[in-house]
Amino acid sequence: MKIAVDAMGGDYAPKEVVAGIEIARDRYPEVEFDLFGQNDKVKPLLNNAERIDLVQADEVIAMEDEPVRAIRRKKQSSIVLAAQAVRDGADDAFFSAGNTGAILAAGLLIIGRIKGIDRPGLTTTLPVINNPKQDQFLMLDVGANADSKPFNLYQYAILGKYYAQTVMGFDNPRIGLLNNGTEADKGDMAHRAVHDILGSAKDLNFIGNVESRELLNGAADVVVTDGFTGNAVLKNTEGTALSVLKLIKNSILEGSLTGKLGAAMLKPTFKNIQNKMDYSKYGGAVLLGVKAPVIKTHGSAKAETIANTIGQIKSMLENHSVDNVVSYFNDHSDEMAAMKADMQK
Amino acid sequence: MSKDEVFNKIADIIADRFEIDRDKITPQLNFKTDLDADSIDFVEFILELEDTFGAEISDEAAENLNTVGEAVDYIVANTDSK
Repeated sequence: MKIAVDAMGGDYAPKEVVAGIEIARDRYPEVEFDLFGQNDKVKPLLNNAERIDLVQADEVIAMEDEPVRAIRRKKQSSIVLAAQAVRDGADDAFFSAGNTGAILAAGLLIIGRIKGIDRPGLTTTLPVINNPKQDQFLMLDVGANADSKPFNLYQYAILGKYYAQTVMGFDNPRIGLLNNGTEADKGDMAHRAVHDILGSAKDLNFIGNVESRELLNGAADVVVTDGFTGNAVLKNTEGTALSVLKLIKNSILEGSLTGKLGAAMLKPTFKNIQNKMDYSKYGGAVLLGVKAPVIKTHGSAKAETIANTIGQIKSMLENHSVDNVVSYFNDHSDEMAAMKADMQK
Repeated sequence: MSKDEVFNKIADIIADRFEIDRDKITPQLNFKTDLDADSIDFVEFILELEDTFGAEISDEAAENLNTVGEAVDYIVANTDSK
């Protein structure tokens, strides 16, 4: 298996990207890499070129570039060339830590959607706290589409189910709809419509609405939401966790000497909490619904996180997670078209 | 590239991308009403035209392309392939 890597994307690129790929190369003997970037910058950073091919890309898409315009105008950029290599079959998956919008646009427009899928969804894995039966859950869409229709959410549920089964090891994942209450009649008209659709879908283990405050307790294995809400909830979760840690730290610093001594003894505990809440360790965000794995990791990712994300991509490829989705949508194309037509009435 | 050659290439792309019979593709075929395509399909198609012909198609120009004939004329007028 060969992975197309955007060497130029991310806050610490290309240095940390190259270092991360070298760790991954040593860790996974069966994986090869095409590293797209400006060779004069990338080559001096590479210690050992075994299973790593450098591909010259003259241009770089910056974090502030407007996504669709950038992928249409910067045809020699590392993101565009890497995505084209995946589209043309030279590589099996796409990885970048760069401009999220441009990565989504490249996935959507260059690699392309799986036939039958209206809108691919961006998904991320988050931790479940204090639940012996479950240590993570999946949420989608977390921001690929700001405006989602009920039919899109139905498709996210299917995409999430397959990912949870093939990559995360859930047998029959519990699908929950993120809503402002658990009762079936909660939410606006769109959410009530989605609740009905998911409830009647025979292939889904739908458990009903879930509230955002229960997510980290493991309310569902796959949480389905529209991209606008999903993005807001994801950022709020991350921000709240960091704020609470800061609050604890400040209270200790301003407190008594015994408090400080106690805190010193609890240092490993705090480290564990931080580690559990660091969702980059669960890998990158995956654009589900496109023809090959497209994975974006945090812009601030360092080498170790990048290597972990490569492990996630390897698992997606080994478990044929995309092929499973392709065959599901192939087998259910008539049903899907009828459902879409029905929902547009 | 002649106008006919451009038409043939575009027709090949459309037949392949939108899975329609190659013989049914005429200059009058309308992208927006005659094909089972959504807005993303259309942007993908514009990108493929840009890659195939080395042409730059601005957003405004893309919005005004409705038929195969208009796309052929645009490519012929905006590339060296006359």
